[in-house]
Amino acid sequence: MLSLVIFFPLAAGLVLLVLPASRPRLVRWVALLAAVTELALTLVLLAGFNANGGLQWETDVDWIPSLGAGYSIGVTGISLPLIILTALLTAVAMVYVLPERQHTRGHAFLFLLMTTGLIGVFASRDLLLFYAFFEVGLVPMYFIIGIWGHENRRYAAIKFFLYTRAGSLAMLLSFLGLYLSSSPRTFSLDELAAQSPLSGTGAALALLGLVLGFGVKLPIFPLHNWLPDAHVEAPTEGSVLLAGAQLKMGAYGFIVVVPTLLPQATREYAPWLLAIALITLVYGALAALAQSDLKRLVAYTSVNHMGYVILGLAVWGLADDGDVRRLALNGAAVQAVSHGLLTGGLFLLVGMLQARGHTREMSRFSGLLQAAPRYSFLLAALAFGSLGLPGFSGFVAEFQVLGATVSEQLWAAAVVVLGLVIMTALFILVLVRIVMGELSLPEPNFPDLDAREAIASVPLVVLSLAIGVLPFLLLRYIDPVSQQLSTLP
Amino acid sequence: MPSETASCLDLWAIYPELVLAGLGLLLVPVAAFTHGRGRWRYLPGGLAFTGIVAALGLTARMLDWESQTVFCNTYALDGFAHVFKLLLLSGAGIALLAILAQFRGHNQLAHAPMALLFATLGGMGLSSALDLGLIVLFLQMLSLPSYVLVTLVRTDRASNEAVLKYFIYAAAALAVMAYGLTFLYGMTGSLELGSIGAALAGDGDRVWIVLALGLILIGYAFEMTLVPFHFWAPDVYSGAPAAVSGFVSVVPKIAGFAGFLRFVLYALPDGTGGWPMLVTLLAALTMTAGNLVALRQTHLKRLLAYSSIAQAGYILIPVAVAHEVAGAMSAVGYYLAAYLLMNLAAFSVASLWERTQGTDRLASLAGMGFRQPLPALVLALALLSLAGIPPLAGFAGKVFLLEVGLEGDLTWLVLLAAANMVLALYYYVGVIAKLYLERPAPNEEPAKAGSGVLYVATFGISTLGTLMLGVFPSLGLELTDLLRRLV
Repeated sequence: MLSLVIFFPLAAGLVLLVLPASRPRLVRWVALLAAVTELALTLVLLAGFNANGGLQWETDVDWIPSLGAGYSIGVTGISLPLIILTALLTAVAMVYVLPERQHTRGHAFLFLLMTTGLIGVFASRDLLLFYAFFEVGLVPMYFIIGIWGHENRRYAAIKFFLYTRAGSLAMLLSFLGLYLSSSPRTFSLDELAAQSPLSGTGAALALLGLVLGFGVKLPIFPLHNWLPDAHVEAPTEGSVLLAGAQLKMGAYGFIVVVPTLLPQATREYAPWLLAIALITLVYGALAALAQSDLKRLVAYTSVNHMGYVILGLAVWGLADDGDVRRLALNGAAVQAVSHGLLTGGLFLLVGMLQARGHTREMSRFSGLLQAAPRYSFLLAALAFGSLGLPGFSGFVAEFQVLGATVSEQLWAAAVVVLGLVIMTALFILVLVRIVMGELSLPEPNFPDLDAREAIASVPLVVLSLAIGVLPFLLLRYIDPVSQQLSTLP
Repeated sequence: MPSETASCLDLWAIYPELVLAGLGLLLVPVAAFTHGRGRWRYLPGGLAFTGIVAALGLTARMLDWESQTVFCNTYALDGFAHVFKLLLLSGAGIALLAILAQFRGHNQLAHAPMALLFATLGGMGLSSALDLGLIVLFLQMLSLPSYVLVTLVRTDRASNEAVLKYFIYAAAALAVMAYGLTFLYGMTGSLELGSIGAALAGDGDRVWIVLALGLILIGYAFEMTLVPFHFWAPDVYSGAPAAVSGFVSVVPKIAGFAGFLRFVLYALPDGTGGWPMLVTLLAALTMTAGNLVALRQTHLKRLLAYSSIAQAGYILIPVAVAHEVAGAMSAVGYYLAAYLLMNLAAFSVASLWERTQGTDRLASLAGMGFRQPLPALVLALALLSLAGIPPLAGFAGKVFLLEVGLEGDLTWLVLLAAANMVLALYYYVGVIAKLYLERPAPNEEPAKAGSGVLYVATFGISTLGTLMLGVFPSLGLELTDLLRRLV
């Protein structure tokens, strides 16, 4: 079943490739159908999932027996929400692009291929398989940015590719190091966790490799440089998937893979991770404040938001109290999901603004409330969600991480609050500037949200609200995993 | 053991070679006869392809034979030889298809297969040869027909220049190597690799061993295109017809690795003469220089030439630890299999482009993905595989190389290789960007239609092979594990 969830998008993508190129409408609708089917399949996984049952929907067959690498997959309470999120965002993207007519087959194929890669990453229980899916999730984005992106797309695409590839090779070397020091040799995540083969310098180097690999994707300061360019140049639906799902590969790595594989090294170097997290948080917030390009602004808020993920890991490493560690990981995991919903939604809305006004300059828009009230309302909801207003998922996430930080390092929490304050100011500023005020738009014709756009974006807000109001809905899946990870030495 | 002359004529042991040799000799008159005679011109190509497939089958049947030496200890029949022969034959078969496709309708169509068969035969012999004399002979046998292939289009100036360069470099390199081999004979009084190794392992004079090794290495390094003995490769690859370049970039290189491994593992066992360190340095130099120069290329064939130099550098990582790490040989074999598939895929697209567009300028590839989707896809996948992106063969190959390197404590080399792989991504992706991210120039003529059955077959075999080997690496590993079986 899980294999079906992983490979169904790929199969559907291959089918799409043989549809006639002269029927773009048909291609779009079939792609949407495939994405919705995939979402339904992931919900079947959810329906059959026991929140307290540990690893489920497992499949384990030999892949490269001589290397001890297997096609070993399964879902945990943390990977399942991310799998559903990925499928949801793919469906959202396919709804959003329905009217686009440029190279529809290739476009849909790449998105579906990427979905296979991303879901594969979250489902892998074998490091080599994890790595293979990791890169399969990355390559389509190069083409999506490069072919369907904006003016400077080639530069952004190659930059994205080179950064991620450099990071993932570092990660591969760490995996190989772990593999070579294990005995019997294995790439299995669970066996490696049980063996905990590395210590001392070896473990430190392996941790470095993983931090580089996941850090590029998350991203952390100073490996974030590719992100603003990639986001700005990517087409809207590409940004949605990039922020919503691709960054989560890094988040998943930090929340699950790093503590599982290298618990002691993570504890030992937790102060460094804390420093990285705080710099990332504040830097992301400050950089966002300095932007006038809306898409770039949202991209930098991503840097800030993802800082909470590595902060969660750092606090997990620093704390001795199991409850604090659990709280930190819970917050980080909820943040991963919440950011996918909120920032995915924000990118959609910025994309709509750009499609109407043909510019992303914040200063060109003002008084949107009068021209497009539904749009403005949605934008406000997402902005408040992103700044961490109670009632939205972002609050649940950030509050937990912050709470864990307070009980561990008070001064660090102060820095986090500083970031939070900047973010609040930032989003309020954005709203004041473009939603309020006198009506002034780059294009006279400025329609409000239409049905397609509403279908694409409203579910994200609703889900974020649902998690915000009833965090239990999400936490009951995540918490058992965090709890188990918190018992590690 | 076989001391009598009579028992030395073990013809039963070389059926695959006999098939190729017989067919090659048969093709001499047949090629002359069918030369210029319409449809008959396809006969030699068809025969040669059948012969290669037959030789593949015969070699595959020998895989489970017990390791032994034949022809009075001069010719090895072991897993190592069989697997390398399978690699060489597969490379030759795919390259033959591409050559036939490119020369379709050309008046040299009948002659190409003959030269290809003899060169392949030389490579096969090299993977088995245990005798210094045979090594020199097979190296020549590998090179001479390759010259012919490179200059098949006699009226082409670039080809002629390329072959001259090839000939002079090869002659010099092989002569220096033969000179080095005489040192070994002088020190040990034997022409046989095994006895040389036994004698040198005891108390050989280190200075002379190192000197001999240095001289001999030049010949092998020439075949493997290692920096700084690589200068011929870019010129030859870019001067020759692309399909021939594909052949030259695959068969002599694989044969070079086979010959070199056979030589050092037998004549210089356990790292005598410090060859592992030398190989390590050459690996670092080759991959770095190859990639750096590749960054600046504006023509596809030259770019692929430098890329294939860099790839040779990667393959040297397991070669450097072949004597101490168990999985090293398998990693070499696996990577060579991946390399031959992806490289031939790339060169066959270059060949198609040369045939239909008359150029291999990278600029001419702009928008190819939208004009010619199939060849563009084949080229893109080949380049992604060369760059080591999963789930393609190049990825699995690189994992094995790096793993073996780390296991052999060559951590710095592995890190350098990883850095190189990032660097290489830049130019591989640069070509892919041309294919898909750029629009064709508006004034450019639309591509001539039709890639032909032969091209489609070449594309199909090499690309599906790259995918299969990448998704199911155990298929290849089972075979390449046999490389450890040495007599």
